[in-house]
Amino acid sequence: MAQAFFTGFFGLAAIWFGVVVFRTSSMVRSALALLFSQAAIGAMFLAMQTEFLGVLQIMMMATEMAIMAIFMVMYMMDPGGLGGMDMTHQKRLSIAAGIFGGAAAVAVSLLGGWGTVGPSTMPEAQVAALGEELLGRSMLVFETAGITILTAMIAATAVAIERRR
Amino acid sequence: MTVAALTILGPLAALVAILLFRRAPAALALLGAGVEVVSAAVTLVRVAGGANFSAALPGLPGFPLRIVVEPLTAVLAVLVAVVSVLVMVYAVGYMEGARGRVRFFAKMSFFAAMMQTLVVAGDWVLLLAAWELIGLASYLLIGFSHEKGRTGSAATRAFLYTRTADLGLYVAVFVLISRSGTSEISGTFGVGGPAAFAAGILLLLAAAGKSAQVPLQGWLQDAMVAPTPVTAFLHSATLVAAGAILLIRTFPLLSPGVLLVVGLLGGVTAVATGVTAVAERDLKRLLAASTSSQYGFMLLALGAGFPAAALFHLAAHAAMKSALFAGSGIFQRARGSTSFSDLGGSGRERPLVFTAFTVAGLALAAVPPLAGYFSKDAIVAAAYESGYGFVLLPLALAGALLTGAYVARALRLLWRGEKRAEPVAGMRWMWAGLASLTVLAVFVGFLKGALSGLIGEEIPDELVTTVVGTAAAFLGLFLGWTFTADRLLGPLRAAAENGFRLAGGVDALVAKPALALAEAVRVADERGIDGVIFALVRGARDLGERVRALQSGLVHRELALAAGGMALLLVFLAVEAMRGL
Amino acid sequence: MATLLVALVAGAVLFGIGLYGALSQTNLVMIMMGVELMLGAAMVNLVAFWRFLHPAAYSGQMFVLIVMTVMALEMAVGFGVGTARFRSRGSVEMEEAEDLKG
Repeated sequence: MAQAFFTGFFGLAAIWFGVVVFRTSSMVRSALALLFSQAAIGAMFLAMQTEFLGVLQIMMMATEMAIMAIFMVMYMMDPGGLGGMDMTHQKRLSIAAGIFGGAAAVAVSLLGGWGTVGPSTMPEAQVAALGEELLGRSMLVFETAGITILTAMIAATAVAIERRR
Repeated sequence: MTVAALTILGPLAALVAILLFRRAPAALALLGAGVEVVSAAVTLVRVAGGANFSAALPGLPGFPLRIVVEPLTAVLAVLVAVVSVLVMVYAVGYMEGARGRVRFFAKMSFFAAMMQTLVVAGDWVLLLAAWELIGLASYLLIGFSHEKGRTGSAATRAFLYTRTADLGLYVAVFVLISRSGTSEISGTFGVGGPAAFAAGILLLLAAAGKSAQVPLQGWLQDAMVAPTPVTAFLHSATLVAAGAILLIRTFPLLSPGVLLVVGLLGGVTAVATGVTAVAERDLKRLLAASTSSQYGFMLLALGAGFPAAALFHLAAHAAMKSALFAGSGIFQRARGSTSFSDLGGSGRERPLVFTAFTVAGLALAAVPPLAGYFSKDAIVAAAYESGYGFVLLPLALAGALLTGAYVARALRLLWRGEKRAEPVAGMRWMWAGLASLTVLAVFVGFLKGALSGLIGEEIPDELVTTVVGTAAAFLGLFLGWTFTADRLLGPLRAAAENGFRLAGGVDALVAKPALALAEAVRVADERGIDGVIFALVRGARDLGERVRALQSGLVHRELALAAGGMALLLVFLAVEAMRGL
Repeated sequence: MATLLVALVAGAVLFGIGLYGALSQTNLVMIMMGVELMLGAAMVNLVAFWRFLHPAAYSGQMFVLIVMTVMALEMAVGFGVGTARFRSRGSVEMEEAEDLKG
């Protein structure tokens, strides 16, 4: 019961901060709002007893959002959002898409028959089991992911490096 | 049997030798022709003594190729061989100093070999093959001087006319073989009824093409652009004889109805082409029309029911016409042209040649006691004795009269005029060939009894027709010598010169419709089929243009499209899930 | 069961918000924020399903790790491209980026 409450609370927080991201015209505030939204998601993970993932999420998102804030300031015309310009387009289409997508997902969630809920396991056992899974069955997946990350890093660097005169 | 095979193998070996060595073509060709004539003579002697044999060579499965040696084929083989060797002698003189002698003698030897094959063929497949090959040889030889302008079209015309008529032979052979189950010629005579009638008419079609009968006589006159030895060999004695030979050999197959058609066709041709000959302004073309006319006589004799008479005239005509062409060749070499306006007076400057020419011409006109007298007389008698004499006899007499007319006309036009002294190279060889052929034209007539006995068929003889026929011939000679063609023919002359073109001739009846059809098909292809394809292409392009408008390059639009696509996918999955439930 | 539903609904709404943001924003960085939200929603769903329906199958958590990796990569490459674009054009506004127009 408590679990449901906390999950719901952090869910609402995530939603609210998500809305703030797009409602505010200050870029820095958008970035921070996103950070809090992702952190709330991480808290939801914690509430659902997946400690490892929750902690991972909060840590990663904090770093990412900070970097995002830096880029925001670098590239935005109006980082402080004091100009008051409307920076959106195809509004009706996007609102319709958002509402439709969200409604469809909600409908599926509520109407789908998900079956019975299984028992939980202790957090310490979880981490150990995750490690076994990682280095056992899903080794190939992880290796591939590693290579992909390397490639992406090189690619991003290559794209971003300034051309020699 | 080997001796008989040498008639074919002699010229064939000469052909191979000429092509291999490319030297002394005349000598090799003469050697081949010599072998040919000796072996043909030996075979004839044996056959006269009673020999009669055939050989089978491997051919199609179930249809072996046969060569048959019997009186008829032996006689024909000798005829072809004798003409071949004499014309080769003549050709040595004619072609002296000319270009392409290797080609020429090779092609002549090829033709001789193929003609011999045709003559001794015992089964339809071999005959058909030889028939086509002599047509090919004729095309090659007519187009020999292909540098000159009209030879190409003349050769093509000859080839196309005869080839189209050959369809008749193909269909007839199919009918006969499928009806009788065998391809042996004598074996197929057993079919009766409608198959025999159809086959007979179709064989007549093929013969009419090869022997230049109405309405397919046009090619022969155009074929006169060939070198004169070719004309003397092919287009007087052998290739055009192939049509008549075919009908003589298949005589047992032809029913009375077919024979009537044959006789009528021959008679009409004899008269029509005789009139054409009277109107012609060119010596060789006159002789060509005369050839068609004489073969019309042979068909008339066949139609009357006397194949031996036709064969007799075939042999006589071969000698006479070859001699006439040989003479005309000498005049051609002297004056450089064959039209009468250029040849006037040639007779006076070469009296010996003109004498030989006259003898051969009078023989053709059936003046006794030359060969033509006996053979033409036999034909007129045959027409008198046949069941349809009331229509065949007048045609035969009219033909005899016209023969005399154009022969006399030719002699007159060659005689009257001024002499010119032009030396001609190779005169000795040419004179040798001409003289031998003229001698034959004189004496062949006396072989009538021997021929009839050998073949076993009757050659008719009637006093009434002899008298009337000879009278007609002399009347014709008188008319031709005295009156010009315009006076004789009057308004007919222009039409006769044109070959009596009806309704625009082959050009309008066959060529134009065929071309119009081809044009229509082309238009249908371009508009119809190509149109469909181009419409498809245009449609694809238009579709592409429209889809291209979707690609704006703007990220948000692309994202919207991605979201839309994803929604579709989800809907699809949901429907699947609903169905699964 | 109740928790499961709550989590799923929350994820659904987050997804909707992210979709709206990705489609409506003109700036590249804001679009990327929208995408981040959508990925986050996906992760919430994944964790909920793992926790409540298949707790024994740890490949569910693997999946979540992969999604996190994807988020990071997307940001890295996206900012690299943004930097290049900014250098060549002076702004990262997506309204002007129609060079790839068909």
